[in-house]
Amino acid sequence: MSNLPHILLSNVTKKFMLQGDRTFKELLPSLIKGNSWAQELQALKKVNLEIQSGETVGIVGHNGAGKSTLMKLIAGVTYPTTGEISVQGRVAPLIELGAGFHYELNGYENIYLNGAILGMHKEKIESEKENIIKFSGIKKFLHEPLKRFSTGMVMRLAFSIAVHAHAQIYLIDEVLAVGDSEFQQQCLEKLNEIKREKDKIVVFISHDEQAVQHFCERVVVLDTGKVIYDGGVKNAFDVYHRK
Amino acid sequence: MLQTLMLPLVSHKYLLLQLIQREIKARYKQSIIGYFWVILNPLSQMLVYTFVFSIVFKFPTSVPYPLFLFAALLPWTLLQGTITTATNSLVYNDILLKKVAFPREIIPYSVIAAKTIDFVFSSLIFVFLMFLYKVPFLPTTLLFFPLFFVQIILIAGISLCLSAFNLFYRDIQYLTNLVLMIWMYITPVVYPLALVPKEFLQLYKLNPMVGIIEGYRAVLFGERFDLDSFLWSAIVSVILFVVGFLIFKRLEKTFADIV
Repeated sequence: MSNLPHILLSNVTKKFMLQGDRTFKELLPSLIKGNSWAQELQALKKVNLEIQSGETVGIVGHNGAGKSTLMKLIAGVTYPTTGEISVQGRVAPLIELGAGFHYELNGYENIYLNGAILGMHKEKIESEKENIIKFSGIKKFLHEPLKRFSTGMVMRLAFSIAVHAHAQIYLIDEVLAVGDSEFQQQCLEKLNEIKREKDKIVVFISHDEQAVQHFCERVVVLDTGKVIYDGGVKNAFDVYHRK
Repeated sequence: MLQTLMLPLVSHKYLLLQLIQREIKARYKQSIIGYFWVILNPLSQMLVYTFVFSIVFKFPTSVPYPLFLFAALLPWTLLQGTITTATNSLVYNDILLKKVAFPREIIPYSVIAAKTIDFVFSSLIFVFLMFLYKVPFLPTTLLFFPLFFVQIILIAGISLCLSAFNLFYRDIQYLTNLVLMIWMYITPVVYPLALVPKEFLQLYKLNPMVGIIEGYRAVLFGERFDLDSFLWSAIVSVILFVVGFLIFKRLEKTFADIV
């Protein structure tokens, strides 16, 4: 039971300090005038959310609703200001694709580098290498440094590594927007395959209504940091569009 | 505490290894002589310093000046290069900080390890010079390793601190360059310690690099080893490391928010 992935957020609030341009030139006048130097922004307000193993959850909301902040909290790179979060299971984030790449290194070297960043060990990467290369469909370019790749090719490689990382929680943030339709289809099929394994969690952020409707059974709608809807796909977009 | 300290070296060993490789491989890509720069850089520095301080100024040294210089210049280059690069390392890896969770100290550690490998390679010139000047390797040369260990601890402490601070205020990287330049001139790298006036000597030796640099020369050339200076360096280094590590770990949780 303890091996199954699980995400639980209770009363999570995340505040950011907006400091504007943090230069001395601006600090000094604001100190003299007595204005508060930093402005506070609440990205998430008392969010309660539980995601069980086997669920595929779409996160929907307008820009600035707190979707990415929520992803970062789940990925464990940022922490709640108040409230509790517990995440069980290894996370493979597909946020800001290619983050773990180095553009001077070639495709093969980047498979190892990015795999390691996603928490894979050497043996694991080696055993998955062929699958990664095959899935990416760009084998003949892999000996070139990554800077010679097109954006779509980098995305293909990044996606291939991430879905073969054998993580338990996949965070997907608007990534399908890049590749061509053929590759998008291939990705959705792969994600469906992951979904069917039933011991995974997929959290999916997208503005693409069709993709969300096709792919998720449950949708969480965020609005200015609050969860305003959590349930079936059908009603989710009514709520979303009313906002 | 000890568990947190060792975690990146055990559970994230492969990531650390990959980041070290990236640091080394990527640096000299699209360059013709590539890794050879690691040797060429100190070599050309040596020629300049030898001309200025051995031929123009005629500093009195117990061994030929190029040897005297290299015993200090190579470890100094390691310290300077590591601190400069490590200070920028977190800023440079900002996307990584926002994307994936792992113990953040792996990033500055990978810089330290990569630069240490550079150091080993560039030390080949030193070995070559020892043969060229027919200076024998003494058994005390083995004491180089504890000295080097202390230096790494010192570098790690400073790197952890500065890399974290630099995420908050980029002034740190410019300040670091300035301080490193001053620091080099208050350390006996290009000149012998004997030239420092007696009345300043106590104050001068507060610099932890004095004990380390003079220690290298002592064990390599069979001169008197100043144990007090070395112990002082070791104490300062360990304190700096502990403080640096604690500060780093304290700030770590906010890295993704402020980068």
